Amino acid sequence: MVERIEDLNLPNAVISRLIKDALPDGANVSKEGRAAITRSASVFAIFLTSSATALAHQQNHKTITARDILETLTQLDFESFVPSLQQDLEVYRQMVKNKKESKASKKEANADISSGPAVAEVPSE
Amino acid sequence: MYVPCVKLIKNWNRIAMASEDLFGHEYSEDPDSELQINKVVGSRGQAQIEEIAEEEEEHVQNGKTEATKEISTDSVKGTTEPETKLCKLPMSRIRNLMKLDPDLQVASHEAVFAVARSVELFIESLARESYTYTAQAKKKTVQKRDVELAIAAVDCLMFLDGAINF
Repeated sequence: MVERIEDLNLPNAVISRLIKDALPDGANVSKEGRAAITRSASVFAIFLTSSATALAHQQNHKTITARDILETLTQLDFESFVPSLQQDLEVYRQMVKNKKESKASKKEANADISSGPAVAEVPSE
Repeated sequence: MYVPCVKLIKNWNRIAMASEDLFGHEYSEDPDSELQINKVVGSRGQAQIEEIAEEEEEHVQNGKTEATKEISTDSVKGTTEPETKLCKLPMSRIRNLMKLDPDLQVASHEAVFAVARSVELFIESLARESYTYTAQAKKKTVQKRDVELAIAAVDCLMFLDGAINF
């Protein structure tokens, strides 16, 4: 579990970069403004999670899945996030699958062999 | 052991062909080296293959053999792996935040990723929304006041009401 309250803060550097990328060139953020956005982001994460948990409980699921998150986003009026999130999820799944495959193939003693089927599968998806 | 060996030979040929494409060099058509590979693959493992590569270095110039090796590692990794990270926020932090919810029992990896990505999108949209108020005030720097105005103005940000009074 969380030992210190700072462990819950999202990293400042990452947040600054995200904000910078979103704003037009030449725009800046004050320290307080960034702190406000950081705090809002944490609250958003908790809010989103508890809404998704509630939704999963309604449907008698114990495990929160990506689908619960997507549905919750729509319910909370953040449906604009859904399309790009779905795309990223696809990429993420693909990445996890590739990782698993390469791990499994390493176990098969010879790493060179596995590249045959792994490469062959890639274009089909 | 048989099937993998065949694959290995195929793979070897492909790598050889790839380097041929790149450099217009025809050492892979040397029947001697093919035979050698066949023979060795039947009885020995990968370490020996590298020996062959070293043996071939005698025939081929250094740079070209290195290029061949690079191609082979590329194909092992898989070509689809993206260069950039998908999610800039640390997933473990997000998981910790999610665990604050006492009702949460289990969250799948995908769910944590989805939340992390959503938070990123949220940060970006909140920043943009806040900036409209900064721009209205003819300023360049987003202040806390602008964030507060944005939260008050947008309906779906109502849940943040009072969250940033620190």
